[in-house]
Amino acid sequence: MAVPLATPKFSLRLSGVGKRYGDFVAVGDLSFEAPTGVVYGLLGPNGAGKTTTLRMINNIIMPDSGSIELLGKFGPGPAAAKHIGYLPEERGLYPKMKVRETLAFFGSLRGLRGKEATRQADVWLERLKLGDWHGNNVQDLSKGMQQKVQFAAALIHDPDLLILDEPWSGLDPINAEVLKDIVSAQKDAGKTILFSTHLMEQAEHLCDHVCIMAKGRKAVEGPLDELKREAAAEGLIMLAFRTSEDEAQARTEVLVQPLVESIRGERDGLLVQLADGGDSDKLLAQLVAANLGIRRFERQQATLHQIFVARVGAMADAEQEGRLADD
Amino acid sequence: MTRQAFIIARREFLERVRNKWFAIVTILGPIGMIAAIVLPAYLSVRSVQEGFHVQVVDRSERDVAGMMDIELDARGVAFKIEKVPPETDLAVLETRIRDEQIDGYLVFPKDVLTGGKVIYRGDNATNMLVTKGLSSLVDFAIFRTRGKDMGLAELQIANLFQKVEFESKQTTGQGEATSGTASFVVGYAVMFVLYIAILLYGVAVLRSVIQEKNNRVVEIMVSSVRPISLMLGKVIGVGCVGLLQLTLWGLMAALIITFREEVLGLFGIPGAGAFELPSLGAADFAIILIYFFLGYFFYAALYAAIGAMVNSEQEAQQAQTPVMLMLIIPVLCVQIVAGDPRGGVAEVLTQIPFASPVLMPMRFLLDAASTAEILASIGILLVSLFGAVLLAAKVYRVGILSYGKKPSFREVWSWIRS
Repeated sequence: MAVPLATPKFSLRLSGVGKRYGDFVAVGDLSFEAPTGVVYGLLGPNGAGKTTTLRMINNIIMPDSGSIELLGKFGPGPAAAKHIGYLPEERGLYPKMKVRETLAFFGSLRGLRGKEATRQADVWLERLKLGDWHGNNVQDLSKGMQQKVQFAAALIHDPDLLILDEPWSGLDPINAEVLKDIVSAQKDAGKTILFSTHLMEQAEHLCDHVCIMAKGRKAVEGPLDELKREAAAEGLIMLAFRTSEDEAQARTEVLVQPLVESIRGERDGLLVQLADGGDSDKLLAQLVAANLGIRRFERQQATLHQIFVARVGAMADAEQEGRLADD
Repeated sequence: MTRQAFIIARREFLERVRNKWFAIVTILGPIGMIAAIVLPAYLSVRSVQEGFHVQVVDRSERDVAGMMDIELDARGVAFKIEKVPPETDLAVLETRIRDEQIDGYLVFPKDVLTGGKVIYRGDNATNMLVTKGLSSLVDFAIFRTRGKDMGLAELQIANLFQKVEFESKQTTGQGEATSGTASFVVGYAVMFVLYIAILLYGVAVLRSVIQEKNNRVVEIMVSSVRPISLMLGKVIGVGCVGLLQLTLWGLMAALIITFREEVLGLFGIPGAGAFELPSLGAADFAIILIYFFLGYFFYAALYAAIGAMVNSEQEAQQAQTPVMLMLIIPVLCVQIVAGDPRGGVAEVLTQIPFASPVLMPMRFLLDAASTAEILASIGILLVSLFGAVLLAAKVYRVGILSYGKKPSFREVWSWIRS
């Protein structure tokens, strides 16, 4: 069992980290900090540099520049690995190894001693309801069960920092729920969780902090609440009218420049982005003056998706839509 | 060895030893060894006992063939000799061979007593026992005829051609002399087993690296341990399986050799077990195992590097050719070492690190290597081994995570230099 560490303020700090492949900048000058005890989401479209970043944190590839500090005292490497759990994007286990031995093996590689590794393997198999399968070869398990074994392999040594790369990819809904429970339980135990995803909805439910990346660079970073509040302050209003005639009239007469920047039709109304310096009171006054039947007028907290779109820009948005359609 | 390398070695070892193929190969190996000894002996003894039907075309006009009749049992081979008319067309006899009515035919030319060449044609002419047996039969028939012409009595002739006992044994002036052929046979067998074992387990390391890459476990492995620990653990784990298997085979071979007469007797081969074999002592086994492990380690490190460079076993086929060649060259040189184990070429070959693991144990078994030479070759092998591991570790470190396209030679060179 790893020796408990004095709790550092930040479990993970990246400063000025960069990685190039030839002329291609995979990650450029990336800095962020994950406070201990938070669920931290590393977000961005595919190719944004998320996996490269996580691989650098896990000592699989070396950054060309910058520094990475783990748990307040380590650089990436085998010493840090004893306190870190890692679920790589590319999943893989030894197919001909028994389930319980697989877990004990990964546990002992990451610092568990002797019988403790087997004991923890049993604990996790029980917790994930795989107890009956402990003596089977990994290849005998269904894909879903193998995924659970993979989670357990990342968690068996009770890591202080859990790093999950695209944890939801290829997960069925039941295991997605299992994973959510694991993340919550880890958070309750005071651990830090860092995960990457391009699925904003999952991130929105789980994250305390996010860092949105695009093209290898940080687009925005911070506590999710704050980012949402900032976005709200930037003037996002959900608007709905009694009739479609009212809506059509509003679109042509009121919801125009210089007051309004953009309008997007949503399921239950129009999402209106006020122009810079736009005032929601002024908008409401104009709508009332035009004698339009208003059903809803609500200052919006932006969704993570909206923040993402706003920050990463229209191009990334197009890419994202395309991929979501693919998923 | 770090703790992590040990954990990895243990995993590799257990996974292989528990595999049913390990048990099958370990048991089948000695069965193959028995078959290799017994089957040819069994087959040749059987056909030899049944006897060969040989027809003789005697054109000597002196009935030399008649002189053969008395002595039909030559070197344990039974022949049924049958005279046919001297004017018989040889094509007819060829047809009889084809139709399996006879096994072959002899032709005595007219001047057979004054140096004419006796010809044998048969479908068993590749069998040494047959040609040697026939040749001694023919010799004796001609000597008898000549003796009679000189006016010697039958008894005098018999005395003249009484069999001479001849014994040849290998010695270097020190240690116990053993049968020359037997030393060679055992030396050759050991060389072959070492070659096969190094190749087999070297390739096992190569495949293990590729599989780890293909099922993507490598990512979690590299994030947990140093690549050098991963490589060493793998090489040591697989090597221990090889050591275990060789030791088991050695024990079984010792049993088979000790009880070879009983084993051969089981298959009804009387007397065939009487051949002499040099006994392998503890020192011989120690030398064999030492050279196996060092040689295996040297080659396994290179195979690990190749495994890290490629993405599939198909690619590996091609990439491993240089290493294969390094291993095959000493096998091709085996005749040189066996033929003149104390010669200069043998001395040089058994010092070359990529050849010594295969050739030195054989030279040692032939009692041709001095202690100093053995220590020197182990020293050279150890140094080269160290170099090979360092080199392989560098290639491994970078190659292990490069999926996709196969690296060019230039890229690999830059990995080594970095």
